[in-house]
Parts: sequence; structure tokens; C-alpha cells
Amino acid sequence: MTILAALTAATLPDAPPPGFAEGKVSTLVSLNPDGTVANVTDLRIHKGSKRVARVMLIPHPVKRASGIAPNFLWDKTAYALGVTAGAGKRTADEHAAFVALHEERLAGTEDEGLKALLAFLRTWSPERFSKPIWADTALDENVVFALETDRQNDVRLHDRPAARALLAQTEEPGETAAICLVTGIRAPPARLHPSIKGVWGGQTAGGSIVSFNLDAFESYGHKQGDNAPVSEEAAFAYTGALNRFLATDSGHRIQIGDASTVFWAEADDGATAATATGLFAQAFGSTPDTRIDVQRVGAVLAEIQRGKPIAEVAPDLAEGVRFYVLGLAPNAARISIRFWLEDDFAALMHNYAEFAADICIDPPSKDGQPPLWRYLLELAVQGKRENVPPNLAGEVMRSILTGGRYPQSLLATTLMRIRTDRRVGPLRAGLVKAFLTRNHFGSPPVARDVDNPSTAYQLGRLFAVLEAAQYAALGRVNAPISDRYYAAASATPARVFSALMRGLHTHVSHARKRGRGGWIEPRIEEIMSKLDPDLPKTLQLEDQGRFALGYYHEKSYRPAGTAALSDDEIAEGDAQ
Amino acid sequence: MLELMTQGIRLHVSGPFACFTRPEMKVERVSYDVMTPSAARGILEAIHWKPAIRWVIDAIHVLKPIRFQSIRRNEVGAKASFSSTKSAMRRGDVDGLGLRIDEKTRQQRASTVLVDVAYVIAAHFEMTDRAGPGDNPAKHADMFTRRATRGQAFAQPVLGTREFDARFALLPDGVPIPIPDDTMGLGFDTPRDLGFMLWDIDHGAPGKPSMFFRASLANGVVTVPQPGAPEILS
Repeated sequence: MTILAALTAATLPDAPPPGFAEGKVSTLVSLNPDGTVANVTDLRIHKGSKRVARVMLIPHPVKRASGIAPNFLWDKTAYALGVTAGAGKRTADEHAAFVALHEERLAGTEDEGLKALLAFLRTWSPERFSKPIWADTALDENVVFALETDRQNDVRLHDRPAARALLAQTEEPGETAAICLVTGIRAPPARLHPSIKGVWGGQTAGGSIVSFNLDAFESYGHKQGDNAPVSEEAAFAYTGALNRFLATDSGHRIQIGDASTVFWAEADDGATAATATGLFAQAFGSTPDTRIDVQRVGAVLAEIQRGKPIAEVAPDLAEGVRFYVLGLAPNAARISIRFWLEDDFAALMHNYAEFAADICIDPPSKDGQPPLWRYLLELAVQGKRENVPPNLAGEVMRSILTGGRYPQSLLATTLMRIRTDRRVGPLRAGLVKAFLTRNHFGSPPVARDVDNPSTAYQLGRLFAVLEAAQYAALGRVNAPISDRYYAAASATPARVFSALMRGLHTHVSHARKRGRGGWIEPRIEEIMSKLDPDLPKTLQLEDQGRFALGYYHEKSYRPAGTAALSDDEIAEGDAQ
Repeated sequence: MLELMTQGIRLHVSGPFACFTRPEMKVERVSYDVMTPSAARGILEAIHWKPAIRWVIDAIHVLKPIRFQSIRRNEVGAKASFSSTKSAMRRGDVDGLGLRIDEKTRQQRASTVLVDVAYVIAAHFEMTDRAGPGDNPAKHADMFTRRATRGQAFAQPVLGTREFDARFALLPDGVPIPIPDDTMGLGFDTPRDLGFMLWDIDHGAPGKPSMFFRASLANGVVTVPQPGAPEILS
């Protein structure tokens, strides 16, 4: 199925009726039948210490760019009432357009409520917006209308049957009909598609997946939506579903680097779909969703990470559950597709288990199996989320979901971060190991492996011992050898190690005077016995990865019987 | 002669990248999963085409797993205007025709493209009513075979867009179509639904509407409906 078709077919338990969408409203104006204002109600709800607008179903918003375009039966105060907190150079025009639209569309209506709105608009003047009835907090927020008699029953003007009938007949006659590429049915194509909101880093007004905002994007003389005929109905359906998934706390979204990722499941019954969605959410990232059985999901996930097939752990999820993952990244007013995957849930979880096995390292990170975003932060300058290399995050996610190779830049970026920060923690070591395993560079060891045949791995171990020798001799120094020589040692060992080995003897004798470091010389000898006397002049990228692994394993190694590593020591290598 | 027409040709095409852009996602490009019939037609026409013949695609065999990669490139948002070109031709000078690419016209666009693709296009041609007395199917079949074998083409055949050029080789008669090494995701157990796919653009009709068909990948093959078939929605 295509992306749009899958979104259109996604089952939403409480999908808005056609022509309606969810919108934020903060004020309700109730009217008497003669058009006078009976009451003004503040609809905002408490959220923490703040009051935020209430989300309710309203007629679908028009697409506003820079022009003036009023909404039907609701709008922000500049349009609906002609008042704004800002400078408001064109507020009068906006309000006039709002009135004109309603005069046109409500002409000849017999409905009591709609007649009241018309009467209100004819008599209203912006000067009347004053205390005590009107509060300044309503300014520039959205306003809906109701009949005073309907107000107690929670019925707004747009909920009245007459209004719904008006909203339903917006279909234009089909002289421009074309085949809808989502449904395959002949229908008038949507010229502009509704906005998609909630993509991280995008414009607050929302963006579009299907848009043709410059003439270089148009073909065969087609304008706007004719370039890709999608029926109005399908356009509303897919954007509605996407907006629902992208909403905060929807339980259907996670952030993977710069890609806002939405996912959903299709199953015979809703509970199974919800469990699958929850499992995915927890595997890749966010806080557990309280609406599902958290304990079960946690237990199932732990079993999968241990490598058990899903058919054994959760047979109800193993068959007949289709799963969809869509990664979206903003590009100004447009939204681009980073990755798209549609597969059986069991296949997806199988791929996830392979990833978990790839990235597993000993000693592990202090918090067990960290979510993916923690790994991605290791690739970012200063460990900041906005610095995660764009595109790389999406490509890594794609590799995990499809079971394909990791992008080459994953290793390059990880090693570059290691060289700049001179830190190798369990997460970075895990990333390097995952890359080497999956991309067919042999099977690197999970835990310290003294007999590993790789020269680079042994050199990494040697470097860690040299660093430890310096520590044993001098304690904490300003510029330990790892700070000064890690990059050179991992890239051009022959040039660096001879100098470091000369320093070693001084360090060992110093340490001995302090009564420490008796273990150093035997360990050095053990490692040297596995090395060719001619050290390699340069190490390739994969070998630099093995070097980092050996360094991590040796640095975090403590002989049995001594105290285990404290959390701080393990965490030292990771960004805090 | 009739036999020659129905016998058809098979062309092996491959390349490191391909982008068969979906119309709904052609700004931030996303490729179709499989080569479209119109892209296949373009490849054949680049090797041999005359007004006397019309290529008809029968099937597209997919030889490699469907894999995507996302890339970002600097592109432009403006194109040369038709009307100013026309008036420049009438005027006889090129003033004001140049397109200056500055920050405003620069557009960074993401594309989700296919990586490492290989297909076999199975197709035949029909004679059109523009065929003259000197045209016959055997002649054109010969010409195509000769040109394809030698690697000749009027323009470099491409995999969807200009920047992804296609390597091509004629599959001689009797040589079986290669079996993919990795059949994962190619519909060998159950057919893979590819959704509605572009069949071609109806260049003759007013407004140049697109024609779609419901594509599915079964045992590594997309069977393409013949022109005029009811599966083609227009």
C-alpha cells in the first residue's frame, strides 16, 4: 500500500466526521435569537499552572497563506469580531470577509441559530469588545458561537443539523474530476491539502506532504493539486489521521533524531493493535503509555531483547498484525518522508531483536537497554538533540526496521565523535559493534576478548593499559595520553605507539615507587605477544572501530574479585 | 510478421540509484517501490523509437530487493518561463531570459530514492497509423535489437530521473530471466500490494491527465495492463 492509502485506511476509533477537524477554541459566545450577546464563556481548561484552549471538533479550517480567508462558523477574534491585540492593519478587512462569507453562505437560512449569528454579525461592532463581558485573554484565540438555549446541552452552532447540512454540501460539481490516486475513484481533486501539524521543527502553522508551492514543482501545465489528483475525501482522511497520530501524547509518535516518527497497527481487534503500538513505542523510545498494559509490554519487550521470537512471547501479536512506520522531517512549509515501512509486526520485532543483539555490549550501559534516542545523542555535537546529524538518524532507523545494513556514515560519525570527545562509553562502543556486525566486518566480541586476532583490537587494549599506567604513576593529570594521542593512536599506530612505549617505562617505575601497578607489565607483555613487531602504519575506518572496541573493553575491565565498576565509571564514557 | 510483433523484447536494466517519483510526493520526492511502466517506456524509447511504432510494456521483473535511501540535494524552485521564451524568439534576442539562481530560488529538497536496482523490462511494440509504406515490424525489431546489443541510444536511458542513468543489456531469446538472489519483499509468498501506480500520462487528451492502475508484485513480477484494459483508470 502507498503511504497515503495506508493513512486513509488507518482505523481511528474517534475519527472526526467529514468536514470537521479538531481545533483549539478558547471562547464561546452564546447568542439570543435576536442576535444579541447573552453570555461569553471561557472554554479554556487548566493544565498545570496555565490555562490552555480546549480541543473540540470544529468545521475544517481553511488553508491560510498570506491572503485573507475566513473560516465558517468559527475563527480567531480578528476575523470573527474584528479585534486583535496586535497592530491589526487589516483586521477590518478580515472581519469584513468573515461577515461577507456568512452573509453568502447563510443567505435564506431558516435555522434559528444561524439566523441569530447573521443578526449578530450585522449589528456587531468591534468597539463593543470591552470588559466586563469580554476578557482580553480571548484576544487572538478562536471563538465559536452557540444559541443560549443550546449552551447547557453543549451544542454549538456548527453542531446544529442545519449547519451540518450546509457543511456537507461543499462538494463542487465534478467538471474537473480526475482519478484519485489514493482511492482510484473519479472525484474532483483537492486543490490544497489540509495542513499537517506537529512535525518537530516545522512551521507552527503546519506543513504539507502533498504541495506544489513553486512552479518548478509543477508538470504538464497542471496547477496545484491537479499535479497529483487526490480526492477531497482522501485528502481529509489522510491528513486527519496523520494529525491525530502527530498530536502530543497520542501514543503513536516518537522522535528519532530530526524525524518525527508516527506508527500504527492494524489488527482484528483494537486491544491487540494498541498492545503492538505500545510495544513499539517502548522499544524505540518514549515514556510508557499508561493506556495500555505497561507491565505486560515491558515483560514482552525484555524477552524480545533477550532474543526470544515473538511467537513464543506473545502469540496474539505474532500473526495478522500489520504495522506501519512513517518518519517525517520538515523542510520549511513542506514535509518530507524520511522513511516508510509497512510489514508484519512479527517481522518488525524480529528485526528489532537483531538490532538489540547487534548493539549489545559488555559491560552494558548502567540503565540496561537504553532507548534509541540515547544512542543517537552520542552522535551529536555536545550531546544535544538538535545536533543529531539530520538524515543519519532516519537512515539508522530504516536499517533497524528493515534489517538492512547500517549507513556507512554511522561508523564515520561515531568515530569522529570519539576522536573529538576522546570518550568511548558503552553506547558508542555498542554503535561501533553493531555496525561491524551488521555490515559484514566479522563478528566483533561482545565482551573483552584477550585472544581476538584483530591487531587493531589489541592495539586498542594496549592503549587503554598505557593510559592506566600513566594514571597509576601520576594520578589525574590535566592532559592524559588519551586526550592527546587517542586520535593519532587509532589512525596511525606506528607513529604514536613507539613514543608511548618509551613513556611507559617511566610510568611503571613511578608507579612502583608508589606501590601500585604491578599488573601493568604482565598485561603489556600479554598484549604484545599477540602483536606483530611492525605496527600498521594506518588503520582503516573499520579497524579504527575495532580499536575503539578494544579500548572500551580493556578500559572497563576489572579482574574478578575486585570491586565491580561503579555506575559513574561506566557512565564516564557517555555524555551526561 | 504478426509473430514478430507479439514476440516482444526483454531488456535488462540496472543502476546504483533510481527514483520513479510518485506524483503525490514529487516535491520532497519519494520513489515508487518498482519501476513504473512509463519509465520503462522512456528507456526503450531512448534506445529506439520512431513515430511509426509505439512501445507497450508487458511486465516488469524485479531482480533485487526493494531498498530505499534518503538524500538531500540543492535544487532550484524556478523554471524558465514559456511565455518569455516565446516572446524572446519573436523579438530575436535573449535579453531577460537568464535565470539567476540566488538564495530565493535555491531549494533544498529531500528525496527518498531506491538503491541498487535491477529490472528486466518485457515489452513489445505496435505499429501506429503514422507508419509509412517502408515501415514494417521486422525492420523495427531488428533496429532495436541491433542498437540495444551495441549499447546505442539516442539519449542515455535513465532510471526515473536524469541523474540516475541506467545500464542496459538485451536479454537474448531463450535466455531465462535471472532469478533474484534475495526474494525478500518481492511477493514470493503472498503478492505485495503496491497501491495505485502511474501507468502513463495521456498526452493526447486535453489537460494531460494521468492514468493509474493497481499494481501488485507477485513472484517478483509486476504485470502491466495493456492499453485500453479496464484495469487502467483514466
